[in-house]
Amino acid sequence: MEDDNVFKALADGTRRHLLDRLFERDGRTLTELESELEMTRFGVMKHLRVLEDAGLVATRRSGREKLHFLNPVPIRLIHDRWIDKYTERHVSALAELKTQLEEIA
Amino acid sequence: MTTATAQTTQVYEVFIKATPEQIWEAITTPEFTERYFYGARIENTPERHRSHGPDGSVWADSATREYDSPRRLVHGWRSLYDPELAEEAESRVTWEIEPQDGGYCKLTVTHDELQGAPKTAKSVSGAGWMMVLSGLKALLETGEPLAS
Repeated sequence: MEDDNVFKALADGTRRHLLDRLFERDGRTLTELESELEMTRFGVMKHLRVLEDAGLVATRRSGREKLHFLNPVPIRLIHDRWIDKYTERHVSALAELKTQLEEIA
Repeated sequence: MTTATAQTTQVYEVFIKATPEQIWEAITTPEFTERYFYGARIENTPERHRSHGPDGSVWADSATREYDSPRRLVHGWRSLYDPELAEEAESRVTWEIEPQDGGYCKLTVTHDELQGAPKTAKSVSGAGWMMVLSGLKALLETGEPLAS
């Protein structure tokens, strides 16, 4: 369930772009983020909401402003669960193949 | 991370299927922390935040600023395991545990007041806190710390 939200949130170019902007500089307001996108304030808000629901963006209030922070933990968890597992196997399969071929030779 | 300057406020969140009491125990007792926190044996009491490395050396020793079990813990942060980091000003770490639906809790770690500690800010960003939190989640949900 958690993973679904993260994959859905990442399956959109604008949202990935927003994450890249926050990666460069964290703790930004909606107004700052909006000024870098060809999109209405409402549109940006909607995308931020999806990122927030997926846990990829954390927000903090600072006076009257709402600041947006990139939270990389869910991406790490996806990496551990869905990428590490398969790439490790792939690498060890290749290592095995190498051993076998070298034994034959 | 490839960011030019690390942030003076960093916020990390993770959802963990555990009770607030279990999470609190996992972040305040050395038997737990050494399994997911780079081997550090951390003890958080109402007075002090103390951390020891696997060899017994002091990695941290700062005052506890708020201690509200099992919801909120605030303590100072100075990385004593590295002389360059130890020279920098103290920063602040806030742990917040909020119960959610379905037996989950949201754990938020805010590391801020890093203005006087740019090297520390860089060292805890990127993999720093992220590995701690993903390791903590793995430990509480599966009973095993992450491999690596």
